[in-house]
Amino acid sequence: MNILEIRNLTKKFGDFVAVDNMSLSVREGEIFGFLGANGAGKSTTISMIATLLRSTKGDINLLGKSITSHGKFAKTNIGIVPQDIAIYENMTAYENVRFFAGLYGLRGALLQERTEEALEFVGLGDKHKSYPKNFSGGMKRRLNIACAIAHRPKLIIMDEPTVGIDPHSRNYILNSVKKLNEMGCTIIYTSHYMEEVEEICTRIAIVDHGKIIAEGTKEQLKAIITDTKDIWIGIKANESLSIEHLKQIPGVIAVRLEENTVKINSKGEINNLNKIVQQLIKDQIEIRSVEEQAPNLETVFLTLTGRNLRD
Amino acid sequence: MNILNIAIKEIKAALREKGTFVFMLAFPVILMLILGTALTNVFSSNTPVGNIELLYKNEAASPQLTQYWQGFAKAIEQEGVKITPLAAGTDGKLEISEDRYSAYAELSNEGITYYGSSKQTIESNILQGMLTTFADRYNMAAAALKSDPSKAEAIIRNASAPGEYIRETALNPDKQPGSIDYYAMAMTTMIALYSALSGTFLFRGERIRNTALRLMAAPVSKGEIFAGKVIGCTLINLLCVLAVVLISKFAFQADWGNHFGMVFLILVTEVILAVSLGLGLSYILKGDTSRSVVMIFLQIASFVGGAYFPIMGTDSFLGFVTNLSPLRWANKALAQIIYNDNVAGALPAIGLNVGIAAAFLLIAIISMRRQEAL
Ligand SMILES: Nc1ncnc2c1ncn2[C@@H]1O[C@H](COP(=O)(O)OP(=O)(O)OP(=O)(O)O)[C@@H](O)[C@H]1O
Ligand SMILES: [Mg+2]
Repeated sequence: MNILEIRNLTKKFGDFVAVDNMSLSVREGEIFGFLGANGAGKSTTISMIATLLRSTKGDINLLGKSITSHGKFAKTNIGIVPQDIAIYENMTAYENVRFFAGLYGLRGALLQERTEEALEFVGLGDKHKSYPKNFSGGMKRRLNIACAIAHRPKLIIMDEPTVGIDPHSRNYILNSVKKLNEMGCTIIYTSHYMEEVEEICTRIAIVDHGKIIAEGTKEQLKAIITDTKDIWIGIKANESLSIEHLKQIPGVIAVRLEENTVKINSKGEINNLNKIVQQLIKDQIEIRSVEEQAPNLETVFLTLTGRNLRD
Repeated sequence: MNILNIAIKEIKAALREKGTFVFMLAFPVILMLILGTALTNVFSSNTPVGNIELLYKNEAASPQLTQYWQGFAKAIEQEGVKITPLAAGTDGKLEISEDRYSAYAELSNEGITYYGSSKQTIESNILQGMLTTFADRYNMAAAALKSDPSKAEAIIRNASAPGEYIRETALNPDKQPGSIDYYAMAMTTMIALYSALSGTFLFRGERIRNTALRLMAAPVSKGEIFAGKVIGCTLINLLCVLAVVLISKFAFQADWGNHFGMVFLILVTEVILAVSLGLGLSYILKGDTSRSVVMIFLQIASFVGGAYFPIMGTDSFLGFVTNLSPLRWANKALAQIIYNDNVAGALPAIGLNVGIAAAFLLIAIISMRRQEAL
């Protein structure tokens, strides 16, 4: 069953189209990864799902109900972890979580229980009375998450929850995302970090210029680019290297030199490794190593969007 | 319920801001002390009146004037003025300049020549007032004598009734504020107006902290958020204002009169006015501009509204400007309540406060409904 369905979603800021006719569905129980470079439109999409922004066009349904006509229902069932930390510095960790959970209708003993539970969950169980202004970046990020989960939403949207934090906090957060998922929450996870997305997400959408340009499991995404391969050849010196000679070899698409590594992108079905090596020997290049790269999401992203995930 | 939650959060968070409290409490209290002590002399009614001694010389040939004078002398003696005829061979003006008497008066057929002591200004002023009344009456009697002698008799007879001159010289007709009383009131209304600063920051603060996102994402209406925050902000500022009132009353014995309910109402409406003003302006002027504008407004309003020194005349251009300061009308209203027991005199100020507050709140509500975020 789909927990979230987005159809033909568009958001314009003036003439600028931030989200462009996007359609997407997220199934219940998924950890859905949202990959995209800066300005791709991830946060804008998320804001519309969380009813923080009105769409210019298109529909969003949560659990089969339109979020426009069932705003309160949508809000109650969504927990959002904003990209920028959103907590009160002059209120304790406990008061922060309690206040936001209270807005979701929790009261009394239940409110207290859920607040403690959420803090415990993000590893701040011993920091009830501490003020966030004395927290490290990672602790603030974790409190930012606690504030979004205490009301036990069905769908948790995390917008880059691991930006700029230490490895310990990052691991903690990744583990809590998995744990939340095991407890039955569906999660939409946005990140700049390919490894994170690869590690935890069950399905991934690649967003560029407000459009979804690829969608699927990581295996499916990698399969998109099996028609090409990357060959990296380590060489001793590059004075006599002729990139032009290499490009004339059948199947070779692109050649670039990075320090003393020749990186060749070539058609997958043509076996041209012998020819490449022969050409290098002919040009009197001393070969140190040859390796064929397994496709990863980074290359998928690069191939599809023509740019790196991080600038 | 959500409104209450949000209001409580607002108050709790504000209570943690020590800086705000120093500003909202220590600042007015210290100014009250400094101004109240430094400017004591401006409020002369607080200065004790010493012995009033009048030295006089009667050279009048007219028996009527002499008779009338004696009646007057008897009357003011009963009011505690010591009257001494000038001893032969002494110089009355010298006596005054050497500060042995409060004033010296010379009676002649041409009238009364008056010399007041420059040191005992208050005493001399009182005597001058009495003598002016005396002269007016005598002129009236003299005029009446020509047309209707019996009426003149009555005027002269009346002249010797004790109390007559005191009342007419208007020594201290109403209760008047001493300097601490004045600055207790002026600083309180000033700090109430400073609530406008928290008004400008009320929603801007949530936006800067990104918590506006969280509030908007929660199943709470904009109206509830708005009401909760405005109520919380008003209450916390009111708390500071009332603390200033209590400190001034119990630590400095400032006079707040007998109509606490009405004083309270003025202060409540003033805080509401200030918060709404700041809030409205934060929607009219985006970004940091609103804060600067409010700051400038507060400074000017405090200055012309009588926060630093009492404002008297209101007929000049400055007078017009002072009337635009909410402090001016709040202070006027409070003075009416405290010193004249004129409770109804406060109603225009309350009306003005509520009306202007409503206008700015409306601006804020409309702008907020129009935009997507808070
Ligand atoms: N309120 C706004 N007004 C105008 N333009 C906006 C607004 N919000 C976002 N944009 C623009 O829309 C585009 C998408 O922004 P968005 O924040 O959704 O990107 P993102 O994918 O989340 O990027 P990042 O990884 O940097 O967070 C950007 O070019 C941004 O400048
Ligand atoms: Mg973003």
